Amino acid sequence: MKRRQFIKGSLAIGATATFGGMAGCGPKSTEPQTPIPFKSGDPVPWVNWAGNQSCLPKWRHAPATEDQLLEILKSAKGNVRAVGAGHSFSAVVPTNDTLISTDLLSGLVSHNPKTLQATLRAGTRLNACGPILESIGQAVPNMPDMDYPSLGGALANSVHATGVDFKSMSGYIESLKLATAKGDLIECSASQNPEIFQAAKTHVGSLGVITEYTLQNQKTYDLTEVNGVENLEYVFENMDALCKQNRHFECFLIPYSSECITVSTNFAKPGDKNEGKDDPYAVNTLRSVFESTSWIPLVGDDLYGFTLSQALASEAATIRTGASYKVFAHTRIVRFREMEYTVPAELGIACGREILDTIKKKKLPLSFPIEFRYVKGDDIWLSMFEGQDGCSISIHQYGDLDYKKIFAEIEPIFWKYGGRPHWGKIHTMKAPELVKLYSRHWQDFQDVRLSLDPEGKFMNTHLKDIFGV
Amino acid sequence: MMHSNKINSRLMALLRITALFLSVVSAVSAQPNQRQMQLFSNNCLQCHAAPHTGAPQLGNQEHWQDIIDQGEDIILKHVVEGIGGMPPLGYCSACDEQDLRQLIYLITGLPDSTIPSGESL
Repeated sequence: MKRRQFIKGSLAIGATATFGGMAGCGPKSTEPQTPIPFKSGDPVPWVNWAGNQSCLPKWRHAPATEDQLLEILKSAKGNVRAVGAGHSFSAVVPTNDTLISTDLLSGLVSHNPKTLQATLRAGTRLNACGPILESIGQAVPNMPDMDYPSLGGALANSVHATGVDFKSMSGYIESLKLATAKGDLIECSASQNPEIFQAAKTHVGSLGVITEYTLQNQKTYDLTEVNGVENLEYVFENMDALCKQNRHFECFLIPYSSECITVSTNFAKPGDKNEGKDDPYAVNTLRSVFESTSWIPLVGDDLYGFTLSQALASEAATIRTGASYKVFAHTRIVRFREMEYTVPAELGIACGREILDTIKKKKLPLSFPIEFRYVKGDDIWLSMFEGQDGCSISIHQYGDLDYKKIFAEIEPIFWKYGGRPHWGKIHTMKAPELVKLYSRHWQDFQDVRLSLDPEGKFMNTHLKDIFGV
Repeated sequence: MMHSNKINSRLMALLRITALFLSVVSAVSAQPNQRQMQLFSNNCLQCHAAPHTGAPQLGNQEHWQDIIDQGEDIILKHVVEGIGGMPPLGYCSACDEQDLRQLIYLITGLPDSTIPSGESL
Protein backbone atom coordinates (compact mmCIF):
# COMPACT_ATOMS: atom_id res chain seq x y z
CA MET A 1 0.00 0.00 0.00
CA LYS A 2 1.14 3.45 -0.72
CA ARG A 3 2.97 5.67 1.67
CA ARG A 4 1.30 8.99 1.04
CA GLN A 5 -1.81 8.50 -0.98
CA PHE A 6 -3.22 6.21 1.69
CA ILE A 7 -3.65 9.12 3.99
CA LYS A 8 -5.19 11.29 1.35
CA GLY A 9 -7.65 8.61 0.32
CA SER A 10 -10.12 6.72 2.39
CA LEU A 11 -8.61 7.73 5.69
CA ALA A 12 -8.97 11.40 5.01
CA ILE A 13 -12.48 11.09 3.67
CA GLY A 14 -13.72 8.69 6.31
CA ALA A 15 -12.03 9.97 9.38
CA THR A 16 -12.27 13.66 8.79
CA ALA A 17 -15.91 13.29 7.83
CA THR A 18 -16.58 11.42 11.03
CA PHE A 19 -14.52 13.62 13.30
CA GLY A 20 -14.44 16.78 11.27
CA GLY A 21 -16.51 18.62 13.80
CA MET A 22 -13.88 17.94 16.40
CA ALA A 23 -11.00 19.25 14.35
CA GLY A 24 -9.00 21.96 16.02
CA CYS A 25 -8.80 20.13 19.31
CA GLY A 26 -5.19 19.18 18.69
CA PRO A 27 -2.12 21.12 19.71
CA LYS A 28 -2.03 24.74 18.64
CA SER A 29 0.75 26.18 16.54
CA THR A 30 3.44 27.46 18.84
CA GLU A 31 6.35 28.11 16.52
CA PRO A 32 6.57 31.30 14.46
CA GLN A 33 7.08 31.19 10.70
CA THR A 34 10.52 32.71 11.22
CA PRO A 35 12.71 33.34 14.26
CA ILE A 36 13.69 36.75 12.84
CA PRO A 37 10.73 38.75 11.45
CA PHE A 38 11.79 40.79 8.43
CA LYS A 39 10.63 43.98 6.78
CA SER A 40 12.07 45.81 3.81
CA GLY A 41 15.17 47.73 4.79
CA ASP A 42 16.20 45.36 7.60
CA PRO A 43 19.41 43.37 7.21
CA VAL A 44 18.61 40.07 5.53
CA PRO A 45 19.01 37.32 8.14
CA TRP A 46 20.13 33.78 7.48
CA VAL A 47 17.49 31.22 8.44
CA ASN A 48 17.63 27.47 7.87
CA TRP A 49 15.01 25.42 6.01
CA ALA A 50 13.29 24.30 9.20
CA GLY A 51 13.18 27.81 10.64
CA ASN A 52 14.76 26.77 13.94
CA GLN A 53 18.23 28.24 13.32
CA SER A 54 19.10 31.78 12.35
CA CYS A 55 21.74 34.47 12.54
CA LEU A 56 22.62 37.98 11.40
CA PRO A 57 26.19 37.76 10.10
CA LYS A 58 28.18 40.97 9.95
CA TRP A 59 30.01 39.79 6.83
CA ARG A 60 28.51 37.63 4.09
CA HIS A 61 30.35 36.24 1.11
CA ALA A 62 29.46 34.12 -1.88
CA PRO A 63 32.71 33.33 -3.71
CA ALA A 64 32.47 32.09 -7.28
CA THR A 65 36.01 30.70 -7.48
CA GLU A 66 38.47 28.91 -5.22
CA ASP A 67 40.79 31.92 -5.39
CA GLN A 68 38.05 34.22 -4.15
CA LEU A 69 37.29 31.80 -1.33
CA LEU A 70 40.95 31.62 -0.27
CA GLU A 71 41.21 35.42 -0.19
CA ILE A 72 38.06 35.61 1.91
CA LEU A 73 39.42 33.05 4.37
CA LYS A 74 42.76 34.83 4.71
CA SER A 75 41.08 38.07 5.76
CA ALA A 76 37.94 36.70 7.43
CA LYS A 77 37.00 38.26 10.72
CA GLY A 78 35.69 36.47 13.77
CA ASN A 79 34.01 33.13 13.60
CA VAL A 80 33.61 31.70 10.08
CA ARG A 81 30.97 29.29 8.92
CA ALA A 82 30.08 27.93 5.50
CA VAL A 83 26.56 27.22 4.32
CA GLY A 84 25.03 25.39 1.39
CA ALA A 85 21.27 25.02 1.17
CA GLY A 86 20.75 25.48 4.92
CA HIS A 87 18.99 22.16 5.34
CA SER A 88 20.61 21.17 8.65
CA PHE A 89 18.40 21.25 11.72
CA SER A 90 21.26 21.52 14.22
CA ALA A 91 23.10 24.80 14.81
CA VAL A 92 26.03 23.98 12.55
CA VAL A 93 25.70 27.19 10.53
CA PRO A 94 24.80 30.20 12.71
CA THR A 95 27.48 32.83 13.15
CA ASN A 96 27.15 36.52 13.75
CA ASP A 97 30.55 37.12 12.16
CA THR A 98 31.45 35.69 8.72
CA LEU A 99 29.08 33.50 6.70
CA ILE A 100 30.31 32.04 3.42
CA SER A 101 27.74 30.65 0.99
CA THR A 102 28.93 27.96 -1.41
CA ASP A 103 26.04 28.55 -3.80
CA LEU A 104 28.23 29.83 -6.61
CA LEU A 105 30.82 27.11 -6.22
CA SER A 106 28.70 24.61 -8.10
CA GLY A 107 28.76 22.42 -11.17
CA LEU A 108 30.84 19.68 -12.74
CA VAL A 109 34.63 20.05 -12.82
CA SER A 110 35.72 16.88 -14.58
CA HIS A 111 34.96 13.20 -14.96
CA ASN A 112 36.54 9.92 -15.90
CA PRO A 113 34.44 7.53 -17.97
CA LYS A 114 36.74 4.60 -17.24
CA THR A 115 36.72 4.78 -13.47
CA LEU A 116 33.20 6.28 -13.32
CA GLN A 117 34.45 9.01 -11.05
CA ALA A 118 33.32 12.62 -11.27
CA THR A 119 34.53 15.80 -9.58
CA LEU A 120 31.80 18.21 -8.52
CA ARG A 121 32.03 21.56 -6.79
CA ALA A 122 30.81 21.36 -3.23
CA GLY A 123 28.03 23.92 -3.63
CA THR A 124 26.25 21.75 -6.20
CA ARG A 125 22.81 20.85 -4.96
CA LEU A 126 21.96 17.18 -4.84
CA ASN A 127 19.07 17.84 -7.22
CA ALA A 128 21.55 19.16 -9.76
CA CYS A 129 23.95 16.25 -9.32
CA GLY A 130 21.52 13.77 -10.88
CA PRO A 131 21.11 15.51 -14.26
CA ILE A 132 24.77 16.54 -14.37
CA LEU A 133 25.99 13.01 -13.75
CA GLU A 134 23.38 11.57 -16.12
CA SER A 135 24.79 13.74 -18.90
CA ILE A 136 28.15 11.96 -18.50
CA GLY A 137 26.68 8.49 -18.05
CA GLN A 138 27.10 8.32 -14.28
CA ALA A 139 24.89 8.17 -11.20
CA VAL A 140 25.52 8.07 -7.47
CA PRO A 141 25.01 4.60 -5.95
CA ASN A 142 22.56 5.86 -3.36
CA MET A 143 20.92 9.13 -2.36
CA PRO A 144 18.71 10.50 0.42
CA ASP A 145 14.96 10.71 -0.13
CA MET A 146 15.10 14.47 -0.61
CA ASP A 147 17.60 16.30 -2.75
CA TYR A 148 17.65 19.93 -1.62
CA PRO A 149 20.96 19.98 0.32
CA SER A 150 24.26 20.94 -1.23
CA LEU A 151 26.87 18.27 -1.78
CA GLY A 152 29.18 19.99 0.71
CA GLY A 153 26.56 20.15 3.43
CA ALA A 154 25.46 16.58 2.83
CA LEU A 155 28.95 15.09 2.88
CA ALA A 156 30.15 17.13 5.84
CA ASN A 157 27.46 15.42 7.90
CA SER A 158 27.54 11.86 6.50
CA VAL A 159 24.16 12.19 4.86
CA HIS A 160 22.80 8.76 4.04
CA ALA A 161 19.91 6.92 2.51
CA THR A 162 18.88 3.33 3.15
CA GLY A 163 20.23 -0.04 2.05
CA VAL A 164 22.25 -2.62 3.96
CA ASP A 165 24.81 -2.78 1.14
CA PHE A 166 25.29 0.98 0.88
CA LYS A 167 27.43 3.33 2.93
CA SER A 168 26.54 6.94 3.61
CA MET A 169 27.29 9.33 0.74
CA SER A 170 30.56 10.23 2.47
CA GLY A 171 31.67 6.63 1.96
CA TYR A 172 31.94 7.22 -1.79
CA ILE A 173 34.35 10.18 -1.64
CA GLU A 174 37.56 9.41 -3.55
CA SER A 175 39.27 12.76 -3.04
CA LEU A 176 38.52 16.34 -2.04
CA LYS A 177 39.97 19.84 -1.89
CA LEU A 178 39.91 21.65 1.43
CA ALA A 179 40.28 25.41 1.86
CA THR A 180 41.72 26.03 5.33
CA ALA A 181 41.52 28.81 7.89
CA LYS A 182 44.92 30.09 6.71
CA GLY A 183 43.73 30.33 3.14
CA ASP A 184 45.57 27.27 1.86
CA LEU A 185 44.07 24.73 -0.50
CA ILE A 186 44.85 21.12 0.41
CA GLU A 187 44.22 18.20 -1.91
CA CYS A 188 43.35 15.02 -0.03
CA SER A 189 42.78 11.39 -0.88
CA ALA A 190 43.67 8.00 0.53
CA SER A 191 47.23 8.52 -0.77
CA GLN A 192 47.58 12.29 -0.41
CA ASN A 193 47.23 13.80 3.07
CA PRO A 194 45.40 10.64 4.14
CA GLU A 195 44.77 11.70 7.74
CA ILE A 196 43.18 14.98 6.69
CA PHE A 197 41.19 13.04 4.10
CA GLN A 198 39.89 10.61 6.70
CA ALA A 199 38.85 13.48 8.95
CA ALA A 200 37.39 15.67 6.20
CA LYS A 201 35.01 13.03 4.89
CA THR A 202 32.74 13.85 7.83
CA HIS A 203 33.90 17.05 9.50
CA VAL A 204 30.74 19.04 10.31
CA GLY A 205 32.38 22.03 8.67
CA SER A 206 35.06 22.19 11.34
CA LEU A 207 38.18 21.79 9.19
CA GLY A 208 37.51 24.50 6.62
CA VAL A 209 35.50 24.84 3.43
CA ILE A 210 35.59 21.95 0.98
CA THR A 211 35.50 23.20 -2.60
CA GLU A 212 35.41 19.99 -4.63
CA TYR A 213 34.64 16.33 -4.17
CA THR A 214 35.53 13.45 -6.46
CA LEU A 215 32.93 10.74 -6.06
CA GLN A 216 32.94 7.10 -7.01
CA ASN A 217 29.83 6.65 -9.08
CA GLN A 218 28.41 3.92 -11.26
CA LYS A 219 26.76 3.79 -14.66
CA THR A 220 23.31 5.36 -14.89
CA TYR A 221 20.50 3.06 -13.87
CA ASP A 222 16.75 3.06 -13.41
CA LEU A 223 14.89 2.18 -10.25
CA THR A 224 11.38 1.24 -9.29
CA GLU A 225 10.10 2.18 -5.84
CA VAL A 226 7.08 0.45 -4.36
CA ASN A 227 5.35 2.07 -1.40
CA GLY A 228 3.07 -0.13 0.61
CA VAL A 229 1.54 -0.76 4.02
CA GLU A 230 2.33 -3.81 6.07
CA ASN A 231 1.69 -5.01 9.56
CA LEU A 232 4.50 -3.66 11.72
CA GLU A 233 5.10 -6.98 13.50
CA TYR A 234 5.42 -8.75 10.17
CA VAL A 235 7.99 -6.20 9.00
CA PHE A 236 10.01 -6.35 12.21
CA GLU A 237 9.99 -10.16 12.18
CA ASN A 238 11.09 -10.28 8.53
CA MET A 239 13.40 -7.27 8.52
CA ASP A 240 16.56 -9.19 7.59
CA ALA A 241 14.89 -10.83 4.62
CA LEU A 242 13.23 -7.60 3.46
CA CYS A 243 16.56 -5.78 3.61
CA LYS A 244 18.34 -8.53 1.69
CA GLN A 245 15.61 -9.00 -0.91
CA ASN A 246 15.53 -5.34 -1.88
CA ARG A 247 18.32 -3.04 -3.08
CA HIS A 248 16.88 -0.48 -0.68
CA PHE A 249 14.31 -1.06 2.03
CA GLU A 250 12.98 1.28 4.67
CA CYS A 251 9.85 1.65 6.70
CA PHE A 252 7.95 4.41 8.41
CA LEU A 253 6.64 3.55 11.85
CA ILE A 254 3.33 5.22 12.56
CA PRO A 255 2.81 6.18 16.20
CA TYR A 256 -0.29 4.56 17.73
CA SER A 257 -0.73 2.23 14.74
CA SER A 258 -0.05 -1.47 14.27
CA GLU A 259 0.71 -0.79 10.61
CA CYS A 260 3.76 0.73 8.99
CA ILE A 261 4.58 2.13 5.58
CA THR A 262 7.18 0.23 3.61
CA VAL A 263 9.35 1.50 0.77
CA SER A 264 11.10 -1.12 -1.37
CA THR A 265 13.34 0.06 -4.19
CA ASN A 266 15.01 -2.11 -6.81
CA PHE A 267 16.43 -1.96 -10.30
CA ALA A 268 13.59 -1.21 -12.72
CA LYS A 269 12.34 -4.05 -14.86
CA PRO A 270 10.91 -3.77 -18.37
CA GLY A 271 7.26 -2.87 -18.15
CA ASP A 272 7.42 -1.13 -14.78
CA LYS A 273 4.97 1.76 -14.73
CA ASN A 274 4.13 4.58 -12.37
CA GLU A 275 0.99 4.01 -10.34
CA GLY A 276 -0.56 6.60 -8.07
CA LYS A 277 1.04 9.87 -7.11
CA ASP A 278 3.44 11.01 -4.46
CA ASP A 279 1.52 13.38 -2.17
CA PRO A 280 3.85 15.67 -0.23
CA TYR A 281 0.93 17.00 1.82
CA ALA A 282 -0.19 13.59 3.09
CA VAL A 283 1.43 14.11 6.48
CA ASN A 284 -0.82 17.13 7.01
CA THR A 285 -3.87 14.96 6.52
CA LEU A 286 -2.49 12.42 8.94
CA ARG A 287 -2.03 15.23 11.43
CA SER A 288 -5.60 16.47 11.06
CA VAL A 289 -6.97 12.97 11.65
CA PHE A 290 -4.73 12.56 14.69
CA GLU A 291 -5.84 15.89 16.09
CA SER A 292 -9.47 15.03 15.43
CA THR A 293 -9.38 11.80 17.38
CA SER A 294 -6.52 11.55 19.81
CA TRP A 295 -7.88 14.11 22.28
CA ILE A 296 -11.02 12.10 23.01
CA PRO A 297 -10.86 10.96 26.65
CA LEU A 298 -10.02 7.32 27.30
CA VAL A 299 -10.35 6.08 23.72
CA GLY A 300 -8.70 8.75 21.59
CA ASP A 301 -5.37 7.05 20.97
CA ASP A 302 -6.95 3.69 20.34
CA LEU A 303 -9.58 5.24 18.09
CA TYR A 304 -6.87 6.91 16.03
CA GLY A 305 -4.95 3.67 15.71
CA PHE A 306 -8.06 1.74 14.77
CA THR A 307 -9.15 4.33 12.21
CA LEU A 308 -5.71 4.35 10.71
CA SER A 309 -5.52 0.56 10.48
CA GLN A 310 -8.93 0.33 8.83
CA ALA A 311 -8.05 2.99 6.30
CA LEU A 312 -4.66 1.54 5.53
CA ALA A 313 -5.89 -2.03 5.12
CA SER A 314 -7.66 -1.39 1.80
CA GLU A 315 -4.97 0.55 -0.01
CA ALA A 316 -3.02 -0.55 -3.07
CA ALA A 317 0.64 0.13 -3.75
CA THR A 318 2.11 3.30 -5.18
CA ILE A 319 4.83 2.73 -7.71
CA ARG A 320 7.40 5.21 -8.98
CA THR A 321 9.85 4.26 -11.68
CA GLY A 322 12.51 6.08 -13.67
CA ALA A 323 16.07 7.37 -13.50
CA SER A 324 17.63 6.56 -10.12
CA TYR A 325 18.03 10.16 -8.99
CA LYS A 326 14.38 10.92 -9.76
CA VAL A 327 13.13 7.89 -7.85
CA PHE A 328 15.33 8.41 -4.79
CA ALA A 329 14.13 11.99 -4.28
CA HIS A 330 10.73 13.04 -3.00
CA THR A 331 9.19 16.50 -2.75
CA ARG A 332 9.35 17.96 0.75
CA ILE A 333 6.97 20.87 1.21
CA VAL A 334 5.63 20.36 4.72
CA ARG A 335 8.08 21.91 7.13
CA PHE A 336 9.24 19.85 10.09
CA ARG A 337 12.01 19.53 12.68
CA GLU A 338 13.97 16.33 12.90
CA MET A 339 16.07 14.37 15.38
CA GLU A 340 17.89 11.28 14.16
CA TYR A 341 20.13 8.79 15.89
CA THR A 342 21.90 5.76 14.47
CA VAL A 343 22.00 2.74 16.74
CA PRO A 344 23.91 -0.50 16.07
CA ALA A 345 21.95 -2.34 13.36
CA GLU A 346 21.17 -5.31 15.57
CA LEU A 347 19.53 -3.04 18.17
CA GLY A 348 17.35 -1.08 15.74
CA ILE A 349 14.13 -3.02 16.17
CA ALA A 350 14.33 -3.04 19.98
CA CYS A 351 14.97 0.70 19.93
CA GLY A 352 12.10 1.30 17.52
CA ARG A 353 9.74 -0.73 19.67
CA GLU A 354 10.69 1.19 22.81
CA ILE A 355 10.12 4.51 21.06
CA LEU A 356 6.64 3.48 19.90
CA ASP A 357 5.79 2.10 23.35
CA THR A 358 6.97 5.32 25.00
CA ILE A 359 4.92 7.51 22.68
CA LYS A 360 1.83 5.49 23.47
CA LYS A 361 2.48 5.12 27.18
CA LYS A 362 3.17 8.82 27.68
CA LYS A 363 0.53 9.88 25.14
CA LEU A 364 3.00 12.05 23.30
CA PRO A 365 1.29 14.22 20.68
CA LEU A 366 3.23 12.84 17.74
CA SER A 367 1.63 11.65 14.52
CA PHE A 368 4.47 12.26 12.07
CA PRO A 369 5.77 8.90 10.76
CA ILE A 370 9.13 7.76 12.14
CA GLU A 371 11.68 6.86 9.48
CA PHE A 372 13.55 3.60 9.99
CA ARG A 373 16.55 2.82 7.76
CA TYR A 374 19.65 0.64 7.59
CA VAL A 375 23.09 1.81 6.44
CA LYS A 376 26.33 -0.11 5.91
CA GLY A 377 29.23 0.56 8.25
CA ASP A 378 32.35 2.46 7.21
CA ASP A 379 35.73 3.58 8.53
CA ILE A 380 35.23 7.36 8.50
CA TRP A 381 36.35 8.75 11.82
CA LEU A 382 33.25 10.78 12.70
CA SER A 383 30.68 8.98 10.58
CA MET A 384 27.64 7.75 12.50
CA PHE A 385 28.38 4.39 10.87
CA GLU A 386 32.03 4.19 11.84
CA GLY A 387 32.95 0.62 12.68
CA GLN A 388 29.43 -0.77 12.57
CA ASP A 389 26.38 -1.23 10.42
CA GLY A 390 23.71 1.15 11.62
CA CYS A 391 19.97 1.53 11.96
CA SER A 392 19.01 5.19 11.62
CA ILE A 393 15.76 6.22 13.28
CA SER A 394 14.36 9.68 12.58
CA ILE A 395 11.79 11.49 14.70
CA HIS A 396 9.96 14.41 13.09
CA GLN A 397 7.60 17.04 14.44
CA TYR A 398 5.62 19.54 12.36
CA GLY A 399 7.38 22.86 11.97
CA ASP A 400 4.70 24.89 13.71
CA LEU A 401 4.56 22.69 16.81
CA ASP A 402 6.90 22.50 19.75
CA TYR A 403 9.34 19.65 19.27
CA LYS A 404 11.49 20.04 22.35
CA LYS A 405 9.32 18.20 24.88
CA ILE A 406 8.74 15.22 22.59
CA PHE A 407 12.36 14.98 21.51
CA ALA A 408 13.41 15.20 25.16
CA GLU A 409 11.26 12.17 25.96
CA ILE A 410 12.65 10.10 23.10
CA GLU A 411 16.31 11.12 23.00
CA PRO A 412 17.30 9.15 26.15
CA ILE A 413 15.99 5.98 24.50
CA PHE A 414 18.56 6.46 21.75
CA TRP A 415 21.29 6.95 24.36
CA LYS A 416 20.28 3.68 26.03
CA TYR A 417 20.97 1.84 22.75
CA GLY A 418 24.31 3.55 22.11
CA GLY A 419 22.88 5.86 19.47
CA ARG A 420 25.04 8.36 17.64
CA PRO A 421 23.29 11.60 16.66
CA HIS A 422 23.12 12.77 13.06
CA TRP A 423 25.41 15.80 13.01
CA GLY A 424 23.00 17.87 10.95
CA LYS A 425 19.90 17.08 12.96
CA ILE A 426 18.62 18.09 16.37
CA HIS A 427 20.30 16.53 19.39
CA THR A 428 21.61 17.64 22.76
CA MET A 429 24.83 15.63 23.01
CA LYS A 430 28.08 17.38 23.82
CA ALA A 431 31.76 16.46 23.69
CA PRO A 432 31.97 14.46 26.96
CA GLU A 433 29.29 12.07 25.71
CA LEU A 434 30.32 12.09 22.06
CA VAL A 435 33.91 11.13 22.79
CA LYS A 436 32.65 7.83 24.22
CA LEU A 437 30.67 7.09 21.06
CA TYR A 438 33.65 7.78 18.80
CA SER A 439 36.39 6.49 21.06
CA ARG A 440 38.47 4.94 18.25
CA HIS A 441 39.23 8.14 16.36
CA TRP A 442 37.94 11.10 18.37
CA GLN A 443 41.44 12.23 19.28
CA ASP A 444 42.75 11.58 15.75
CA PHE A 445 40.10 13.94 14.48
CA GLN A 446 40.85 16.59 17.08
CA ASP A 447 44.55 16.43 16.21
CA VAL A 448 43.81 17.10 12.55
CA ARG A 449 41.35 19.86 13.42
CA LEU A 450 43.81 21.62 15.71
CA SER A 451 46.59 21.36 13.14
CA LEU A 452 44.43 23.03 10.50
CA ASP A 453 42.57 25.55 12.65
CA PRO A 454 44.51 26.14 15.90
CA GLU A 455 42.62 29.36 16.62
CA GLY A 456 39.20 27.77 16.23
CA LYS A 457 38.12 30.04 13.41
CA PHE A 458 35.46 27.56 12.31
CA MET A 459 34.11 26.94 15.80
CA ASN A 460 30.69 28.48 16.43
CA THR A 461 28.86 27.94 19.70
CA HIS A 462 27.42 24.60 18.61
CA LEU A 463 30.71 23.22 17.32
CA LYS A 464 32.46 24.29 20.50
CA ASP A 465 29.89 22.26 22.40
CA ILE A 466 30.21 19.11 20.31
CA PHE A 467 34.00 19.23 20.04
CA GLY A 468 34.66 20.42 23.57
CA VAL A 469 36.52 23.59 22.59
CA MET B 1 39.75 13.27 -16.57
CA MET B 2 37.50 15.13 -18.96
CA HIS B 3 36.79 18.74 -18.09
CA SER B 4 33.41 20.42 -18.33
CA ASN B 5 32.68 23.71 -20.00
CA LYS B 6 32.96 26.71 -17.73
CA ILE B 7 29.29 27.45 -18.06
CA ASN B 8 27.50 24.18 -17.79
CA SER B 9 24.77 23.15 -20.14
CA ARG B 10 22.14 23.46 -17.45
CA LEU B 11 22.80 27.14 -16.99
CA MET B 12 22.76 27.71 -20.75
CA ALA B 13 19.43 25.95 -21.05
CA LEU B 14 18.12 28.05 -18.22
CA LEU B 15 19.24 31.25 -19.91
CA ARG B 16 17.42 30.23 -23.08
CA ILE B 17 14.22 29.44 -21.18
CA THR B 18 14.39 32.70 -19.30
CA ALA B 19 15.10 34.70 -22.46
CA LEU B 20 12.02 33.14 -24.02
CA PHE B 21 10.02 33.95 -20.91
CA LEU B 22 11.19 37.55 -20.93
CA SER B 23 10.33 37.92 -24.61
CA VAL B 24 6.71 36.89 -24.14
CA VAL B 25 5.96 38.69 -20.88
CA SER B 26 6.02 42.36 -21.73
CA ALA B 27 5.86 43.62 -18.14
CA VAL B 28 9.05 41.86 -17.06
CA SER B 29 11.89 44.27 -16.53
CA ALA B 30 14.29 42.21 -14.49
CA GLN B 31 17.93 42.81 -15.20
CA PRO B 32 19.67 39.90 -13.49
CA ASN B 33 23.40 39.58 -13.83
CA GLN B 34 25.11 36.24 -14.39
CA ARG B 35 25.58 35.72 -10.66
CA GLN B 36 21.89 36.25 -10.01
CA MET B 37 21.00 33.94 -12.88
CA GLN B 38 23.05 31.21 -11.24
CA LEU B 39 21.34 31.85 -7.91
CA PHE B 40 18.02 31.69 -9.77
CA SER B 41 19.02 28.37 -11.30
CA ASN B 42 20.34 26.84 -8.09
CA ASN B 43 17.48 27.93 -5.88
CA CYS B 44 14.25 29.25 -7.40
CA LEU B 45 13.91 26.72 -10.18
CA GLN B 46 14.00 23.77 -7.78
CA CYS B 47 10.32 24.45 -7.16
CA HIS B 48 9.18 27.21 -9.52
CA ALA B 49 10.01 25.11 -12.57
CA ALA B 50 8.73 21.89 -11.05
CA PRO B 51 4.92 21.63 -11.23
CA HIS B 52 4.72 18.63 -8.88
CA THR B 53 5.86 20.83 -6.00
CA GLY B 54 2.68 22.88 -6.10
CA ALA B 55 4.68 26.13 -6.18
CA PRO B 56 3.67 28.93 -8.58
CA GLN B 57 5.34 28.16 -11.87
CA LEU B 58 7.63 30.36 -13.91
CA GLY B 59 5.84 31.81 -16.91
CA ASN B 60 2.31 31.10 -15.67
CA GLN B 61 0.91 34.56 -14.94
CA GLU B 62 -2.25 33.12 -13.41
CA HIS B 63 -0.16 31.64 -10.64
CA TRP B 64 1.43 34.96 -9.83
CA GLN B 65 -1.30 37.58 -10.06
CA ASP B 66 -2.50 37.30 -6.45
CA ILE B 67 1.08 37.39 -5.27
CA ILE B 68 1.97 40.41 -7.40
CA ASP B 69 -1.07 42.24 -6.03
CA GLN B 70 0.47 42.09 -2.54
CA GLY B 71 3.25 44.42 -3.61
CA GLU B 72 7.00 44.07 -3.81
CA ASP B 73 7.81 44.63 -0.13
CA ILE B 74 5.35 42.01 1.09
CA ILE B 75 6.67 39.55 -1.48
CA LEU B 76 10.19 40.25 -0.27
CA LYS B 77 9.11 39.70 3.35
CA HIS B 78 7.55 36.37 2.42
CA VAL B 79 10.65 35.31 0.51
CA VAL B 80 12.96 36.13 3.43
CA GLU B 81 10.73 34.59 6.10
CA GLY B 82 9.40 31.75 3.98
CA ILE B 83 5.73 31.10 3.41
CA GLY B 84 3.71 27.92 2.93
CA GLY B 85 6.00 25.33 1.41
CA MET B 86 8.63 27.92 0.53
CA PRO B 87 11.59 27.89 2.93
CA PRO B 88 13.20 31.06 4.31
CA LEU B 89 15.21 32.88 1.64
CA GLY B 90 13.90 30.42 -0.93
CA TYR B 91 16.98 28.32 -0.11
CA CYS B 92 19.30 31.13 -1.24
CA SER B 93 21.90 31.56 1.48
CA ALA B 94 23.99 33.70 -0.86
CA CYS B 95 21.26 36.23 -1.65
CA ASP B 96 21.28 39.80 -0.35
CA GLU B 97 18.27 42.09 -0.63
CA GLN B 98 19.24 43.29 -4.10
CA ASP B 99 19.57 39.70 -5.33
CA LEU B 100 16.22 38.74 -3.87
CA ARG B 101 14.49 41.73 -5.49
CA GLN B 102 15.95 40.86 -8.90
CA LEU B 103 14.87 37.25 -8.52
CA ILE B 104 11.38 38.44 -7.57
CA TYR B 105 11.19 40.62 -10.70
CA LEU B 106 12.47 37.76 -12.78
CA ILE B 107 10.10 35.12 -11.53
CA THR B 108 6.91 37.13 -11.03
CA GLY B 109 7.20 39.57 -13.91
CA LEU B 110 6.90 42.46 -11.44
CA PRO B 111 8.45 45.66 -12.88
CA ASP B 112 11.82 46.64 -11.43
CA SER B 113 11.00 49.48 -9.03
CA THR B 114 14.50 50.88 -9.32
CA ILE B 115 14.07 51.67 -13.02
CA PRO B 116 12.37 55.06 -13.60
CA SER B 117 8.92 54.74 -15.15
CA GLY B 118 8.97 54.88 -18.96
CA GLU B 119 12.64 53.99 -19.26
CA SER B 120 13.16 51.18 -21.71
CA LEU B 121 15.48 48.27 -21.11
